Amino acid sequence: MSLTQTSRETPLAEPSLEVRRRDLRLPLGILVAIVALSAPFLIGSYALHAIIIALIFLLPAHGLNLLVGYTGLLSLAQAAFFGIGAYTAGLLAVHYGTPFYVNLVAAGLMAGLIALPLGIPALRLRATSFVMCTLGFVIIGQAIAKNWISVTRGDMGLSSIPKPFFALGPASFTVSGTTGFYYLTLAVAVLATLAVWAIVRSPAGRNMIAIRENETLAESVGVPTWRYKLIVFMLSAVFAGVGGSIYAHYLTVVSPLTFQMYYSTTMLIIVLGGGAGTISGVVFGSLLFVGLSEALRVAPELRMIAYGFCLLILVFWFKKGFAPLLNRFWSFVGGVK
Amino acid sequence: MSTLPILEISNLTKSYGAVKAVNDVSMHIDRGEICGLIGPNGSGKSTFFDCSTGLGRPDSGKVTLDGQDITGWSLNRIAREGRMLRSFQKTVVFKALDVEENLIIAGQMFTFPSLFSTFSLGRMSRQRVTALRERARELIRMAGLWDVRHMPAGNLSGGQQKLIQFASMLMPEPKIILLDEPMAGINPKIIERVVETIKYANKSLGVSFLVIEHNIDVVTSICERVVVLDQGRKLAEGTPQTIVQNQQVREAYLGG
Repeated sequence: MSLTQTSRETPLAEPSLEVRRRDLRLPLGILVAIVALSAPFLIGSYALHAIIIALIFLLPAHGLNLLVGYTGLLSLAQAAFFGIGAYTAGLLAVHYGTPFYVNLVAAGLMAGLIALPLGIPALRLRATSFVMCTLGFVIIGQAIAKNWISVTRGDMGLSSIPKPFFALGPASFTVSGTTGFYYLTLAVAVLATLAVWAIVRSPAGRNMIAIRENETLAESVGVPTWRYKLIVFMLSAVFAGVGGSIYAHYLTVVSPLTFQMYYSTTMLIIVLGGGAGTISGVVFGSLLFVGLSEALRVAPELRMIAYGFCLLILVFWFKKGFAPLLNRFWSFVGGVK
Repeated sequence: MSTLPILEISNLTKSYGAVKAVNDVSMHIDRGEICGLIGPNGSGKSTFFDCSTGLGRPDSGKVTLDGQDITGWSLNRIAREGRMLRSFQKTVVFKALDVEENLIIAGQMFTFPSLFSTFSLGRMSRQRVTALRERARELIRMAGLWDVRHMPAGNLSGGQQKLIQFASMLMPEPKIILLDEPMAGINPKIIERVVETIKYANKSLGVSFLVIEHNIDVVTSICERVVVLDQGRKLAEGTPQTIVQNQQVREAYLGG
């Protein structure tokens, strides 16, 4: 036991010299919650619409963040799973009139299950080939949606998808109107955020980060990296599928355009711009980027130009997205200078 | 205790194109032994290592760990189920993570019964992580890294990173550890500490070792037996003293 090193066991010095102010994190959190809950009464219906879209896109972005931010796998397939979720929910609602939560769960499961046979070959590929392969999934998804006319009605898409309704025994309840939809989406978004939080805090989350940091080293300490990557790929698809189901119910229309690269890139921008590997960054990113893109619709000619400029600024000024900024703000609120 | 060798590698062959990097090499490591593997650059040591630990697949040959045929197993399975761990030539740590996290990751797959159980945040799961953290701290203290345990591993010196890597391998109570040039590029003070750690793990924890090492002083001080590879073939085998005297080995090293 000669190795037992005598080490100074004093813990690292407490930051006692730093100026401590009052911890305002809880009050701020409550304030944010109140604002979130009273948003429909504070802002116009168009802004509310923009926030709903942002919250819907938050779901696939959370999934993508697990993949890109925590496991280190760049995927462009999110739009494909988003589309699969939207079609699953749309078809169920139109043909069987199933309640909203059934469609939502079915959409998530369907996307997750389809991710399994896609992920098995795709994850055998090296980094860049994997990205190309996931891009292919979006294109294939769109082609199927266009050409499997007997089911998807091709380019006409599925229309008049009913508003979300809940049925519990004899009682049923339909969410109509933007306000109702806002609360519904907010609830799902909050649950999804908690789910991501639980996943990344679990020992599996630690293994995911290990894979991102150094896959061979993770292997050498017994982490079955391939199986983890497959599970995370499926989980990311589940989040995208759930987002797609809400999207279908919100727009009441699903067309092959749901499978488009633009959506995959939007989700990627949310994650990378907001802060890959952080939860708060992605929440902030979804509100900023989707909200911005929707809000800029008031000036359609300038919309994409303005959007592009925002991305440029982001790339040059905030290389790690907004997450570091948010963290600093949060510790500032917490009273640590 | 069984007298079977802990690790037995028979007739291992691996080619890269026309070049036979490892050509029909057989060797074994006895229980509780520290065995050295030496040879000039390009003699096939690293390929031999990779093929024995699942990082590469041998073209032919058989690897038996503790009586079990593990030929063709993946690196992670050999680590997890076989408790045979390896280090890498270049120091490898999870650079962005702190020292404690590095060690916890190294122990996780040996504590959780299944992959799915790692997704849990329940009481059992938290208890397992707490136990891992305690063991990690014990090893961190032993390695003399206590003061830097909350620093990102990438910010530490090369020698300290070697110690992290070493402590990581002791997390799961391994049966055998394969070290690929553990002393390369570190200062003499840390060499001493790594040597002590190897001896400690061997004597007190009963871990067997196979060590690739160029530093002949280290080899003679820790190894009971040395195997020499040259041009993909086994050239000699014996105690460090006889190997140093061996004419063939001298010629191989001097390019005779």
